[in-house]
Amino acid sequence: MAGAPERRFFFGRARRSARPGETLLDALARGGWPALQRSIRYHRPRGPFCGVGYCTGCLVRVNGRPNVRACRYVPTDGDRVATENSWPSPRFDVLGAIDFLFPHGIDTLHGFVRPRWATRAYHRVVRRLAGYGAAPEVGRTPPTPPPPPVRRTVDVAIVGGGVAGRAVAAHLAHGGAHPLVVDRALAPEPVAGGELLASTTVTFLPAPVGTGDHRFTLLGFEEPDRGVEVTARTVVLASGGYDAALLFGGNDRPGVVTADGAFALCGRDGRRPFRRAVVVGGGDRVGEVLDRFGDAVAAVVAPGGISPPVVRRASDEGIPLYPRSRIRSAAGRGRVRSLTLEPRGGGARFVLSCDAVVLAHRRLPTSQLLFQAGARMEWRGGPGAYYPVLAPSGETSVPGLYAVGDVAGILADANERAAERVAAAVLGAPASGEEPLPRVALEGPNELEGYYRELASLPRSGRWVACACEDVLLHEVEEAHARGYRGIEVIKRYTGVGTGLCQGRYCLPDALLVLSILEGRPAPEVGYITQRPPAVPTPLAAFAAMADSPTGPEGA
Amino acid sequence: MNGPTRSAYRVIVVGAGIVGLYTAYHLARAGAGPVLVVDRGFLSSGASGRNGGGVRQQWETRATVRLARESVAAYRRFGTEFGYNVWFRQSGYLFVAETEAELARLRGVHELVVSEGLPSEVLDAAAVARRVEGIAPGAVVGGTYLATDGTLYPFPAVWGLYEAVRALGVEVVLGVEVLGVEASAGRVAAVTTRSGRVEAPTVVNAAGGWSGELSGRAGLAVPNVATRHEIFATEPLKPFLDPMVVRASDGLYFSQTMRGEIVGGITLRDGAGVAGGMPSSPRFLREMSRALVRLVPRLGSVGVLRAWSGFYDDTPDGFPVIGEDPRCGGFVHANGFGGHGFMLAPAATLRVARAAMGEPIDLDPALVSPARFLSNDRPPSVERLQLG
Ligand SMILES: Cc1cc2nc3c(=O)[nH]c(=O)nc-3n(C[C@H](O)[C@H](O)[C@H](O)COP(=O)(O)OP(=O)(O)OC[C@H]3O[C@@H](n4cnc5c(N)ncnc54)[C@H](O)[C@@H]3O)c2cc1C
Ligand code: FES
Repeated sequence: MAGAPERRFFFGRARRSARPGETLLDALARGGWPALQRSIRYHRPRGPFCGVGYCTGCLVRVNGRPNVRACRYVPTDGDRVATENSWPSPRFDVLGAIDFLFPHGIDTLHGFVRPRWATRAYHRVVRRLAGYGAAPEVGRTPPTPPPPPVRRTVDVAIVGGGVAGRAVAAHLAHGGAHPLVVDRALAPEPVAGGELLASTTVTFLPAPVGTGDHRFTLLGFEEPDRGVEVTARTVVLASGGYDAALLFGGNDRPGVVTADGAFALCGRDGRRPFRRAVVVGGGDRVGEVLDRFGDAVAAVVAPGGISPPVVRRASDEGIPLYPRSRIRSAAGRGRVRSLTLEPRGGGARFVLSCDAVVLAHRRLPTSQLLFQAGARMEWRGGPGAYYPVLAPSGETSVPGLYAVGDVAGILADANERAAERVAAAVLGAPASGEEPLPRVALEGPNELEGYYRELASLPRSGRWVACACEDVLLHEVEEAHARGYRGIEVIKRYTGVGTGLCQGRYCLPDALLVLSILEGRPAPEVGYITQRPPAVPTPLAAFAAMADSPTGPEGA
Repeated sequence: MNGPTRSAYRVIVVGAGIVGLYTAYHLARAGAGPVLVVDRGFLSSGASGRNGGGVRQQWETRATVRLARESVAAYRRFGTEFGYNVWFRQSGYLFVAETEAELARLRGVHELVVSEGLPSEVLDAAAVARRVEGIAPGAVVGGTYLATDGTLYPFPAVWGLYEAVRALGVEVVLGVEVLGVEASAGRVAAVTTRSGRVEAPTVVNAAGGWSGELSGRAGLAVPNVATRHEIFATEPLKPFLDPMVVRASDGLYFSQTMRGEIVGGITLRDGAGVAGGMPSSPRFLREMSRALVRLVPRLGSVGVLRAWSGFYDDTPDGFPVIGEDPRCGGFVHANGFGGHGFMLAPAATLRVARAAMGEPIDLDPALVSPARFLSNDRPPSVERLQLG
């Protein structure tokens, strides 16, 4: 792409530019740490967190359109980009005072009820604080009419073009099939033997009805708001996983990012918006982080143990390791400056100075579509998450729906075999009484649950944010429990945990562990979290563009 | 074991939604004696945790206007009474008409509402456009607006009532299903549940969309029909829309909540019955998105955050069913609220509680009594404004 012209856009009043293929976040991170957002209730400083388009840390306004994710947007010439939800800027926001004025948080359920005349005044203030971006500008017609929706009817659709999805596609192609691979990545790896729809997120996979030839409907959108509607006879879910969040004081500070978030900030050109990152975790994912930016890692800290390969790597590179550590709090004015730790067995607290905290301790499956489609799910205690019940062929309880790779909990070194089997089954090869493939552990105990159990009795400092999208604090979850509310579904409705833009990806898994400890019963009894469509916020325009009578549940 | 602590109660209320809990509250306050509320789901798992939070007093019949007006007063004092903030915001209900014929119908509603002493207004297209910034030009010919209507956040109402009734000594048992109702000599004697038999001379059917099923289990055929209605919420935006907007032609409704989300639905004729569960459908997402974007084009790029559905408990004449079943003494109905049980609950359940204690109530039995379905007479009146 050498020589391709740069895109010039306005960021507030400043002129900025993006290189070809760069996202808006790439372009903004080249100028240093991007401060883009404030939190919804307390106006705490927030920054990019996930790097994969789920969180609220990178929402900006582009050409009068609110809530555009900088990490998912490729700028074009003349774009007007502005920050929102802060005044005068995300770095210095007057409303940031709320965070200091209400050190124990704002109780919107019980506060403001007396006297009655005051309630109305409170209402007006609180209402004004709601929302991230302002509504889209009135009368701003898009420069070009919206593109027609993408509509396809295929034999096999594969959701996810990562390692597992590409492997299935290759095997299918080998057997003479021509699958359609849908991937959210803006620039995914090419797929050998299949057709690829990039920048496309499937957000709704309704349970199929009947046994017709094309009974699956996959709905979604291509960035930014083009409707996509695929009907298929067979669907292979290879939607992978994502890096989980972690509970500690100040866990929402800018600079606390997931491994994917750190990768997004580092871009592909070798830039580093941080120099002294503390990496949290002790497994393979930490190895991947060290591969990408080991030179900018100051320490590796793990709530549990650290695997021998990581230990070897780190000692080769002279990176200090802190296994079995309690992460107490992250501090800093705005961006994180230090992390306070203590050994789990007991011992003196110590402080690591840092300019980023990279969460690489836990991968969770991107399983929303499996829930939507009505596949039977089972709790796997090792990782502490729900995975599909699978036949040895890789088929879920929904005939014609397969799962492979991380979303299925298949262990990495068995992925190739799993892909082969799924492809064979899809092509109609007779099942040959195969052994089940190795998967993540079905039986607990979950390491993180033990860790949280230990933390539960200790005093806390700093804000422990249970749900960053809706600014729900951990003690609100505990208070709901103390008032007698039970089960994740009720706690979610009571506190708002899991009702924000990330669809609960970053808060519900940990809330489930915390509640399991509080309620004294196993996590699966605390709840089977209903995954409501869409899996990712989907523009009204995309749904509005759907064909009049898609094959699917309501049929005629 | 999760089950009732006593073997007998004065009243058993089936259903811990807004109707069941409010009924229990009125019963406990009136000193009815031991009351049990039993629900097979979790708190707020029924329609009471799935609705749009609309509270309006614009109706086609006086009886409904009056119940709604009384309920508005109750929701205004909910915070001081229960210690929970329901965020009841009286920022109006705006009914919009696409044709003169629809506007004429709304005018009729307007005149009735005004005659009940409420400050309803008729708006022309320009006045509607001032209240719905960005509405498509020419999309409506006018509408009616009542400033004291509004919206609330349903969950805290459920929490407030749940805590209040427990504080008053009511037992609330969750996760236990009522499988049958036993009668002897034409009177209720007990209910059978998954955790045993519990006696009571009075059983209140506040089972929402499942009320027909429960009446059936008691051997009482009723014309209630459960219909699935879908609804969605968008990503939260800064406030730009004050009233709840309802379109007369197709039942499109939407409002912006205190959290900034646009919450709304549209009337789709779906199959009836509870058997299909509560999924969301592509058809709803398509029709709802289309209708909303056509009416307010600026919203096209706004993301749908979550979609869900719940059951309306519909009756043939659009009135709820309140009172003792003439076929079975002590079996008291508190159901048939269609898509409006939340806004009618405070006032309606006051009557339910009285009926459950065998006292006379001040509602026209020809309109609300279950007896009305047992004769072949034409209903004296029908409440047809079943929108939003
Ligand atoms: C999408 C939607 C939007 C709506 N919008 C509005 C609105 O804007 N304004 C408004 O006023 N109303 C609205 N409604 C209607 C309103 O939500 C309902 O009328 C009201 O919540 C009914 O309350 P309920 O307590 O009767 O029923 P529910 O809340 O449904 O409670 C009934 C309970 O009974 C339990 N139950 C059923 N059978 C049994 C059994 N055999 N044993 C034990 N327990 C049982 C169920 O588990 C359930 O919890 C809407 C409804 C829907 C679905
Ligand atoms: S959505 Fe862009 S960083 Fe999370």
